[in-house]
Amino acid sequence: TLRLICTTTTVQRKNVGASGPGKYTEAFIKNQIEEFNLGKRHLANMMGEDPETFTQEDIDRAIAYLFPSGLFDKQARPMMKHPTEVFPEQRKIQWGEDGRPFHFLFYTGKQSYYSLMHETYEKFLNVQKHQDQLIAQDLPLQKEKRNLAGSRWLTKIELEEMLLEKLSDDDYSRFIQLLQKLVALPCADIEESYIQKFSKEVPVQSQKLVIEPLQYDEQGVAFSTGEGKRKTAIATAVVYDNGTGKITVNGTDILHYFPVLQDREQLLFPFQFLGRIGKHDMVCTVSGGGRSAQAGAIRLASAKALRSFVTEKEVEFMRQAGLLTVDPRVKERKKPGQEGPRRKFTWKKR
Amino acid sequence: MAAPSAAGLGWRLRAWLPRIMPVRWSRYNPSYLEPEAKKESYQKPLEELTEEEREQMELKAVRPIRAAPPTLSSSVFSDPMISKFTNMMMKSGNKVLARSLMSQTLEAIKRKQLEKYHKAPENEKETIECNPYVIFHKALKNCQPIIGLSSITRGGKTYQVPVPLTDNRKRFLAMKWLITECRENKHRRTMMPEKLSQELLLAFNNEGPVIKKKHVLHKMAEANRAYAHFRWW
Repeated sequence: TLRLICTTTTVQRKNVGASGPGKYTEAFIKNQIEEFNLGKRHLANMMGEDPETFTQEDIDRAIAYLFPSGLFDKQARPMMKHPTEVFPEQRKIQWGEDGRPFHFLFYTGKQSYYSLMHETYEKFLNVQKHQDQLIAQDLPLQKEKRNLAGSRWLTKIELEEMLLEKLSDDDYSRFIQLLQKLVALPCADIEESYIQKFSKEVPVQSQKLVIEPLQYDEQGVAFSTGEGKRKTAIATAVVYDNGTGKITVNGTDILHYFPVLQDREQLLFPFQFLGRIGKHDMVCTVSGGGRSAQAGAIRLASAKALRSFVTEKEVEFMRQAGLLTVDPRVKERKKPGQEGPRRKFTWKKR
Repeated sequence: MAAPSAAGLGWRLRAWLPRIMPVRWSRYNPSYLEPEAKKESYQKPLEELTEEEREQMELKAVRPIRAAPPTLSSSVFSDPMISKFTNMMMKSGNKVLARSLMSQTLEAIKRKQLEKYHKAPENEKETIECNPYVIFHKALKNCQPIIGLSSITRGGKTYQVPVPLTDNRKRFLAMKWLITECRENKHRRTMMPEKLSQELLLAFNNEGPVIKKKHVLHKMAEANRAYAHFRWW
């Protein structure tokens, strides 16, 4: 008997329902989760830790220890994460066995986006109907203003994750405009729960900073340190209490170190803003950068140091005056094919 | 690199990175707001604020704020208009020279006004303005044109169409005219502060070549009134 060695491609081709880049079936993901949990327990045993209380941070530390890597990109190093984080969420197959799609908007291409728009517009019409009813009954419309500053809409990426579908910038802006129109109506409180699905709380900025407590040196004088950077210049400032307003930079007085008035004005800006010009002494060290960059760096360092001397409200005022933000502007790089960062080479006709 | 990246922000706000790199961009994320350095605006009690100001305050509490530039300061001597003018006078980044020229100009204005003040009879002494900052602001305001011309091409021919100007544009034009006037129409030996103080005093009294230029522009706009309907914005 002849054994069939070479087979045709039709027999070899696997029976895949939907084509596309790497579709993960549910069974596959379940398998991966089981393997991950088993692997987690093995890893815990290997490291000599308790398998029951082995957290993700422990896993990361263990992997970094067992597989040390010199690669710069963190994403390229070996990692062991839960399969839901590794495999992106994908939609199940959208049509049945007969080939007929489940959703009525399937053939638009962006079914979840358009169904979302339909839903939102339905809510909009609902609110308008409710408003008309209230007007017909001569009842007053609710005029409570929603606090817009404390919340923000979902970003495009977050919305894409929610819908599991790619959106274009235009689509996203249209959806946000519709939401804003909905919120602008006076009786929008009815659909409050629906709106909250698409808005997120923004934390108040001042709560992010941690103010350090004052330190005391040998004579009992309170002082605090701060560091500042501006454009390659780094500065450290030590601000002492009960002073006469003397400022020393790298061992020399500011009048000798900064002959330009503008730099001295910048150094005194935080003190003048808080009204504490004659009350503090300052000793700073600065290196790198140019004349203006060093002044900016010392200004940031002194503002950071002054935070410990001052109430929280004044810290918030300093932040709103722009004293506590690091200036991200740096020299722009020169590009190939051009003479400088923006200047192009002289155009010659021939 | 050349790519814009905001200073220390979470992944949520990084979503702002544009697909195509624009030519004019800034190192700050667009959600950063402008800083406010004046001390008085922070000392107002809560009750005096209007609705808009309250909303603005709440917005500022949530959003990050840009760093104050080196020209901005809370001292009484720093004036945004003066710094703008100084920057426009600056050549090749020599801010030290520009600033010294500006202070010499203000000093010259003060000296001239004081001379006039001491020579004037008693009843006129109150009308003479001695504060150089007030003179500078008034002179700039007098030089600002109300309406400008913009060239629009229709059917091959370019027409000069009268067009309303924004505040920023008016201020820019006034400052530009002053500076070009002082650089070009002066004797070789006169120093810039002297000539500038002369021009500012003339503009303060609504005389002088810069005011004439403004009137010429207004007349041209009036003459081309017929083409005003070409404007579509």
